Amino acid sequence: MNTTDRKLTDEEIKAFGTELDALRARTVAKLGVDDARYIKNIVRAVRYTEVAGRGLLFAGIFPPAWVLGTLTLGVSKIIENMELGHNIMHAQYDWMNDPELNGQTYDWDNSCTGDNWRHTHNHIHHTYTNVMGKDHDIGYGLLRLYPEQKWEPRFLANPVLALILMTFFQHFVAVQSLEVERWVSAETQDKRAVEGKRIAKAWKPVWKKMRKQLGKDYVLFPLLAGPFFLPVLAGNVAANLIRNFWSSAIIFCGHFTADAEVFPASIIENETRGHWYLRQLRGSSNLEGGKLMDIMSGNLSHQIEHHLFPDIPGRRYDEMSAEVKAICKKYGQHYNTGSFSRQLGEMFQRVFVHALPTKPLQQARQEQPKAEPLAA
Amino acid sequence: MPFPPAKNTINQTADLLANALRPALPSEVFDFWARELGSTHSKERVFAKIVAKRAESSRAVTLELQPNRHFQGFESGQHVNVTVEIDGRRMTRSYSLTGIARSKRLLSLCVQKVAGGRVSTHLFSESSVGDLIELDTAFGAMTLPAELPSHLLFLAAGSGITPLMSLTRELAARGMPVQTTLLYWARHRSDLCFLSELKALAARHRNFTLRIALTGDAVTQVDELRGRPCTELLAHAIPDLSHQTVFACGHSGFVDEIEAICKPLARSFMSEAFTPPNFNSSGTSADMVNVMLAKSNRLLQVPTHMPLLAALEAQGIHSPSGCRMGICNTCACPKRHGVSRNLKHGGENAEPESNLRICVSSAQTDLTLDL
Repeated sequence: MNTTDRKLTDEEIKAFGTELDALRARTVAKLGVDDARYIKNIVRAVRYTEVAGRGLLFAGIFPPAWVLGTLTLGVSKIIENMELGHNIMHAQYDWMNDPELNGQTYDWDNSCTGDNWRHTHNHIHHTYTNVMGKDHDIGYGLLRLYPEQKWEPRFLANPVLALILMTFFQHFVAVQSLEVERWVSAETQDKRAVEGKRIAKAWKPVWKKMRKQLGKDYVLFPLLAGPFFLPVLAGNVAANLIRNFWSSAIIFCGHFTADAEVFPASIIENETRGHWYLRQLRGSSNLEGGKLMDIMSGNLSHQIEHHLFPDIPGRRYDEMSAEVKAICKKYGQHYNTGSFSRQLGEMFQRVFVHALPTKPLQQARQEQPKAEPLAA
Repeated sequence: MPFPPAKNTINQTADLLANALRPALPSEVFDFWARELGSTHSKERVFAKIVAKRAESSRAVTLELQPNRHFQGFESGQHVNVTVEIDGRRMTRSYSLTGIARSKRLLSLCVQKVAGGRVSTHLFSESSVGDLIELDTAFGAMTLPAELPSHLLFLAAGSGITPLMSLTRELAARGMPVQTTLLYWARHRSDLCFLSELKALAARHRNFTLRIALTGDAVTQVDELRGRPCTELLAHAIPDLSHQTVFACGHSGFVDEIEAICKPLARSFMSEAFTPPNFNSSGTSADMVNVMLAKSNRLLQVPTHMPLLAALEAQGIHSPSGCRMGICNTCACPKRHGVSRNLKHGGENAEPESNLRICVSSAQTDLTLDL
């Protein structure tokens, strides 16, 4: 585990934040026609690959067409979810004033409703990143990935649950806002009844969107193919699987690597901008890869930059990363980056190790001085 | 220009295909493919193609537009919000429709280039035939009444000519049924738009009188006037002001001056100003308040004397906006808490509002907006 972070004084943390704010301002000033052209080309890529993928699957009775169609549709869904949906819903392109790229209204090709995603992801996960009891993305209520999470016998199934989570990722994301584990772990019958009612109420819009997605991929398009119903159905199932495995793997690598840290709930009391930046840095990890990796991960290969600047267009993260790295070096902070295979390996290690009742290591570096309360 | 028949068939086929696919596809998918094929078709938005562009004066162009089927039509004298993309950002401004409201299939706008105006400069210099632009619903109250008054007086300054040109053309199409006078101010003769058409109308219709007033160039013709609007000039040009139903349009300084002179004397007075009124922006910038943007979870400090829209833009937040003078409602957003001040008329409001027009409102206290 990483122990290289230098302990910063409050003044240093403030200066660290000021430097990142300045980087943000410099990047915002640069946004313009290049970013607009980029995101429009991404839209174009998604639309053309979807038509090509679905078209090829209609000829899916021929195995090469089926394989190519499935891959193309899978890639289309990955780019749509990661580079369009995720990033647009972060309001990364709101400055364009384009109603089709509007953070508040965009909805993606995914079972999760745009509104639920904006709440669980943009608001909860990005505000309370890796804060225990606040950030639901620490294990999604399903997995135990950190020793700081309370162990329950259900976590013995961690490896199996991780596989199931990745397989049905879009549907787990869809039901994430329901927080079903609160019903599972309810201690009394009364509490369980209350949770049950809450979930039943929240289920309606979730099911509506899930039904729409399932209907489109597993009923509408296979029926349109007429006699080729089955190859199209199988191709759509496989394309969704490709998207589910890939996007969940990318996302898990962003916060569940060996060096990623979680924080006690007390950390957010009187948290300054500088402390917030520091927490985002320590809770996130990057993936090394080229341009293709950036596009296929919706630039979450730069998870650190994304967490520092969630509303800056993802294509700017690469150029920002050089400066972020330099700032981290200056303040003696570890910049968590590695190859996809290494980060994925570390993630799976967590899945297996913390299936058992592990205990948190008391590390001095977690005793970072608390922020001084801001003068009112 | 008429299309050759082959193209017509292609267009008809495209229309048929569009109508078949429209209900089946989500709007963003339908609109994408329509755009990709260079068509103005859309599931619900109003797109228009520039089909002709011609110079109207040294600083103005007329754009002829073919809108798609979603354009609901307009009344002569109304304006429409035009949205274009400039450097990746969509920007919206209002322009008057200068044609007559006979056909909603072909529209014309006259755009006068404004120094430092990004949209007008783009439309004047960069736009070209074939470009797509987006339109909104036409709006504006400076239209002809159902029952025409006996004397109409149109007072135009600069680009204020555009809605009055539409009304003049409308009246000409009806055979100039009432006494109509157009008094048109410009700095230089080369700035005048529609001059030959207006002169031709004046020659053809006994009921129509055209008077040109110049503030910059020397007068060279007998019927030209010289000078800014003042009581003497108006009394000289329009002896029977008390009979006149006045429509005035121009920049806000002009409209204010004209209103002071005409309103007490004319039979009725109606005006529209093109540039934002001069907000009282002399307040000290030391008065800063906090503005919370609830949806994006951001806290900003803004000066109390500045319109909220401008204050947000100064900090890099570009929220949708249109006319920037408090009429088109594009920028309106709910205000949850706090006291806002309307910079147009100075009123203060401490109540939550569902549609605060941030282009003409400033924050007087800390406030929360749904942005």
